[in-house]
Amino acid sequence: MASTLALLTVVLAIGAAEAGRWTRARAAAAPSTLQATIPGVVTLSELSRSMIPMPRNTPSAHASAMATLPGDRMVTFWWAGSRESGPDVKVYASQWHNGKWGQPWEVASRDSLGKALGFGVRRIGNPVAWTDRSGRIHLYVVATGMGGWAASRVAHMVSKDEGASFEMKRVLPMSPLFNTSVLVRTNAVGLVDGGWWLPVYFELGIKYPMLMSFGPDGEPTGLGRIGSRTTTLQPAIVPVSRNDVRAWMRDASDERRVQHARSRDGGASWEDLPPLSLNNESTSLAAVRLANGEFLMLHNHIEHGGSSRSLLRLSLSKDGQTWRPVADVASGAAGDEFSYPSMQQVGSELHITYTFQRRAIAHHRYRISIGENI
Amino acid sequence: MALPELTWQFVYARLAWALVLAALVVATWPRAWRMPRAVVGGIAGASLLLMLLPGAASPAWHLGLAFQYPSGLLAGLCAARLHARWADRRDTVLMPPRFAAVLAVCGTVLYLDAFGLLARGYYYAGFGLGAAVLAVVLAGASALAFKRGHGRVQACAVLGAVALFSFTRLPTGNLADALLDPLLCAWALFSLGQAALRALLRRGARPQLAPLPQDLPALRSAGAEPFSPIKE
Repeated sequence: MASTLALLTVVLAIGAAEAGRWTRARAAAAPSTLQATIPGVVTLSELSRSMIPMPRNTPSAHASAMATLPGDRMVTFWWAGSRESGPDVKVYASQWHNGKWGQPWEVASRDSLGKALGFGVRRIGNPVAWTDRSGRIHLYVVATGMGGWAASRVAHMVSKDEGASFEMKRVLPMSPLFNTSVLVRTNAVGLVDGGWWLPVYFELGIKYPMLMSFGPDGEPTGLGRIGSRTTTLQPAIVPVSRNDVRAWMRDASDERRVQHARSRDGGASWEDLPPLSLNNESTSLAAVRLANGEFLMLHNHIEHGGSSRSLLRLSLSKDGQTWRPVADVASGAAGDEFSYPSMQQVGSELHITYTFQRRAIAHHRYRISIGENI
Repeated sequence: MALPELTWQFVYARLAWALVLAALVVATWPRAWRMPRAVVGGIAGASLLLMLLPGAASPAWHLGLAFQYPSGLLAGLCAARLHARWADRRDTVLMPPRFAAVLAVCGTVLYLDAFGLLARGYYYAGFGLGAAVLAVVLAGASALAFKRGHGRVQACAVLGAVALFSFTRLPTGNLADALLDPLLCAWALFSLGQAALRALLRRGARPQLAPLPQDLPALRSAGAEPFSPIKE
């Protein structure tokens, strides 16, 4: 009799706990399209180009990500160290203020992450940052377990002081395989309720893109897969309306084209679209939507005599399928590397960062004008 | 979607890995050797002390690096192993074939989906409302099985894992991680393989006797009853 009562109590308590949790659950929010569509032709005028100062004794740098700060300021995160996957690789940050970059500071190392998490971190990779409505910066950093990049997990950290210091929130659960093989690379996307989407991807031989949504409080609210292809990664997500969302992806297949997917229900489900005519030799890309409704993509392009990452190009599209080149941001000889681009619109300015020859992070600034001919 | 606090995960990892380590030591203990309660308690205590060591000195640091967290069910079954040795119940079977088959099938489907080969989003559903309903159903079914005496050890472990998930969302906030992990799935597959091998060996060793005639008058008139030397 006593055991029956105990069992019944446990089952009822479980039911009550689940019911209580789900009555407080938040409905999925629609993506924010940021600005109303203004008709006209886009003009991009370059305002400046510079290199972000590197920390001392760090010959290798890669994978930059920007986050906005109040007053047209910005902060950029990237990883740097002796070499990719080296034990001394750390995530660094630098702030854009009064038209120049400040001295970099250390944000995360494998020691600091391991100490905060309570278990080891073997190597550090791509960062992605997002500033929420209350000014907190959410930083997502790839941190691997036992093995190479296939053993990656994503650590979520939060800063309340504009990136000066970060507190570990958790490792995001995204895979049942010891929570490994999940990475971040591309920009987060804002939602109308103040939450955001974090583009994620799985990479363990097979590659596919995913999306984790967050509420305004920074807590995850959902996780889903983008399309059903098994050779695409690093989705660059751009909302068109509350329901219509596009994603362009790095291609790891033999097609060697920028891959494309579309959601018609605000990111709840996705369909694969035919690949673009733009070539893609497994290189990361960035995309934004401009005020005139056109899509702007920053991507590597291969020309005769070049290599997969030796030319970084800006292209425009009205429909997301057909693209025309606008400007070459960086170009070099075969073997040169201008890769892993990132874009951020701050007011009427477009900020671009990318990996420069694996040695530094380059920054270009453009003025976006609408209504004039290019 | 609700996720556990990092502090809870920190504590859980140490306790759960201590259970797994202690159960492994107990399971590999030679059958011929006696294992008094003091030894069982000593193994469990030593495992916990090891896991509580700071930083990289703790095995939990390295186990977390490789495997992150064991599922609640794996921890529960390991606790059951320790309890069985404590109570000197050497005949306790933790992974009977039916239970192992369910875990193996669920694991195979889940991991094929995680590898991207199925694209059904089973793991993502483990965060959702459906998972919450499933947790309540599983809790009810486990309690019923325990009450009726069907697979009591497994029912208790499942109920414990679901309770841990529902009350704290440990280990990760996903019901799939509460009930399954690759180590547990490997254990289930190994047990199934063992059971299949045993069945094959039994079949091979059985002497090929000629079938008995259906009616043996001598036996019928004698009223012969089955005899077993085991006390019931």
